[in-house]
Amino acid sequence: MDSTLFIVQLINGIQYGLVLFLIASGLTLVFGVMGILNLAHGSMYMVGAYLAWYFVQHTGSFALSAFISAVIALCIGVVVERTLIRQLYRRNHLDQVLLTIGMIFVFNALQSLLWGNDPLGVEVPEALAASIPLTGIIEYPVYRIFVAVFCIVVAAAMYYVINKTRLGMLIRAGESNREMVECLGVDISRLYTIVFAIGVMLAAVAGVVAAPISSIVPGMGEHILISCFVVVVIGGMGSIKGAFVGALLVGLVDTFASVLVPELSSMMIYVFMAFVLLLKPQGLFSS
Amino acid sequence: MLFKKRAERLFMWVFFPLALLMPMFLEQNEYYVNKLTTIMILSIFVMSLDYLVGKCGLITLGHAMFYGLGGYLFVILAPEYEAVNFWVYTFYICAISAAIALVIGLLVLRTSGIYMIMITLAFAQMTFYYFSGSIDYGGTDGVFVYVKPETSIFGLSLFDLDNPTHFYYLCLLSLFNTLLFFKVLVRSQFGRVVDAIQVNPGRTTALGYNIFVYKLMSYVVASALGAYAGYLFTLQYGFVNPSMLSWTTSGTALVMLILGGIGSIYGAILGTITYEGLHYTLEHWTEHWMLFMGGLIILMVMVFKKGIAGFLEDLLEKRDGK
Amino acid sequence: MENNVILETEGLCKYWGGLKALDNLSLAFHDKQLHGIVGPNGAGKSTLLNMLCGHYKPTSGEIIYRGESISSIKPFEFARRGIGRSFQKTNIYTNATCLENCCVAVQRLMGGSFNFFRSRYSQKMLDDIATKALEKVGLAHRRDYIASQISYGEQRQLEIAMVLATSPALLLLDEPMAGMGHEESQLIINLLNTLKKEYCIVLVEHDMDAIFELSDQLTVMVDGQHLVTGSVDEVREDARVKEAYLGQGDEVY
Repeated sequence: MDSTLFIVQLINGIQYGLVLFLIASGLTLVFGVMGILNLAHGSMYMVGAYLAWYFVQHTGSFALSAFISAVIALCIGVVVERTLIRQLYRRNHLDQVLLTIGMIFVFNALQSLLWGNDPLGVEVPEALAASIPLTGIIEYPVYRIFVAVFCIVVAAAMYYVINKTRLGMLIRAGESNREMVECLGVDISRLYTIVFAIGVMLAAVAGVVAAPISSIVPGMGEHILISCFVVVVIGGMGSIKGAFVGALLVGLVDTFASVLVPELSSMMIYVFMAFVLLLKPQGLFSS
Repeated sequence: MLFKKRAERLFMWVFFPLALLMPMFLEQNEYYVNKLTTIMILSIFVMSLDYLVGKCGLITLGHAMFYGLGGYLFVILAPEYEAVNFWVYTFYICAISAAIALVIGLLVLRTSGIYMIMITLAFAQMTFYYFSGSIDYGGTDGVFVYVKPETSIFGLSLFDLDNPTHFYYLCLLSLFNTLLFFKVLVRSQFGRVVDAIQVNPGRTTALGYNIFVYKLMSYVVASALGAYAGYLFTLQYGFVNPSMLSWTTSGTALVMLILGGIGSIYGAILGTITYEGLHYTLEHWTEHWMLFMGGLIILMVMVFKKGIAGFLEDLLEKRDGK
Repeated sequence: MENNVILETEGLCKYWGGLKALDNLSLAFHDKQLHGIVGPNGAGKSTLLNMLCGHYKPTSGEIIYRGESISSIKPFEFARRGIGRSFQKTNIYTNATCLENCCVAVQRLMGGSFNFFRSRYSQKMLDDIATKALEKVGLAHRRDYIASQISYGEQRQLEIAMVLATSPALLLLDEPMAGMGHEESQLIINLLNTLKKEYCIVLVEHDMDAIFELSDQLTVMVDGQHLVTGSVDEVREDARVKEAYLGQGDEVY
């Protein structure tokens, strides 16, 4: 591998890792605060991508579509939490798994009902359609860099919210002690609704920004969900910092594996995960 | 008595005689005989999962790994154009799967709860992608089985595996034996410790039991039987492919479990029949069958947690009480 | 008075981060004696019991059982060597009958726990031993009741029966009378009076009357530190105890 290819793969890996972080952070946030394992989280990523496609078709503006999709996702999050997820707080893990599998079925069915089963694609928005030349022959698309920067901005915003605001304080308190938060006179059920809705929105936004650089196909949600599992298992369940580090590691391992060991590339992240677990069974940043 | 509940006994008296006579009703209608055979095979798979999830409290999303391994081990071990002995290979496949489960169990069972759910899933995905990407084993297309095994034992050949009705009876027999085996296991002295661990692991450790060993053995046994089911499936359809290993196979099995009633063992059969029956009916009616199936699953989790077996038990016990 | 020492601790410490839950504790527990441990909340009594039964690993120091250091063995091995324990919160198999609860304990001794095929209901000898354990604590009449359906006091008795069913040499009892009425407590006191003739018992208890009545040796702990050990009378008269503990007023809960 020469150095240019290496750099390209490095940027690709980081960019993929950052998108993974966007999705995995929602998964780990919901788990950390509410103790819920949401298997349907990947479906939200899928919903985001399909919504982006749908609205780009109708409005022609990617930015507008992204905004509308995020708002819709937020609403979906509120409705799902209020009707379904709420029932799970006092239930065991098995019920969580089964109920969210049921949700996957429903989302997949709705997707095929509303948008069909053919692969779809979204054009890269014109303003970002250029490429930056790296060497004489190799160029790197601006949009991918935009995605990476966007994810970093979101990560920074999350860091700010969690560490510097009242909502963030409640989230951190809720992670360590549910009763205490309730004693403080905080409406815990509203906090849960907000956290879940934000989690859903993060996954959907990831779906939106990833739409122009990946094909929109049925089953994309499940595929990304399982990669996110690997991310949070490596990072430590419930830890946002862990999700960030885990996502970057998974992104890099996956990208480099597809160049170095193409025939085994898809399984390398799982091998990597098993290796991490051997050393640290609770993940890298478990609390 | 092995079958203590009235619902269980009722099920045994209705299901197995009916299943024995079924091929006669179907008058060699191969499609339905095959469909029912698949239900028997899936029931074995779901039952082994029920033992893990319902009886041992070990929630796994990676049980399909062993289902797929059962199939792949056969095509890896058996010569391509030569009929091998069914029973010998049953032994090989169960033994090797058990050994693999032992190693994986050592890793997986160190964790619990949500971690275990995700790690079992990750191991299953690992094998899924290994076989999907493997050129030797046909990638996503999988491998064909050209010659089915012969089933002679001490010179006596009872089943001709190319004959669907024979194959049906082999699977029915296997299902019956699996059910019996798990019922005996649950009632056994080993089962006593497993029960104790599920209700109160801390207490069981304080009484001097090394609970890890009991979990590991349960995991190994259930995995070996899951692999046996996969082996039968591969023989029935004459091929093996990575979709057997996919996480939807594990997820669907869990869904069948909750439909039938978790922890009841025989409920696995009821759940499999119900799921496959519903799937078949809905699919013929609308291509968006998943919408209804998903709704049903959500409904089951919310209000009907005990499944069909639990419903039957409540019904019969209420009658008893009065 | 001087019976064999069964269990000893040498400089036992348990730190949780910077917090010293237990600091440099050296005690000896004798056979056929009841050794009471008292102290205000947070004195480290439960921490001590949790280490003696293998539930926590000591930060430093040794636990010596019949002359052998057992600090590093696994939790389940403590029970196998004859260290039985009851918990502060009732810890039984609530969904099973009282007999079955004890059978789980007996079976560990009798073997057969890896038998996949033999029915758990087929062994009369095992049932007999389990029944005897129930009789010992006076629960024979509850033999076939589901454990969740008997009274709270009876559940505590059942837990002691389960520990007895493992044929221990040493009983670690963590507040067996907590939350009990006077009559129920009296039952447990009578039971412990009988049991201490056969076993070495380490008893942590808040009920002062009970512990003064039962103890052969009494240890007072404060803030993770050992204050004094001696006979009940010695402890009663000890000036440091009066100052540190009883001096705070009569309310010692």
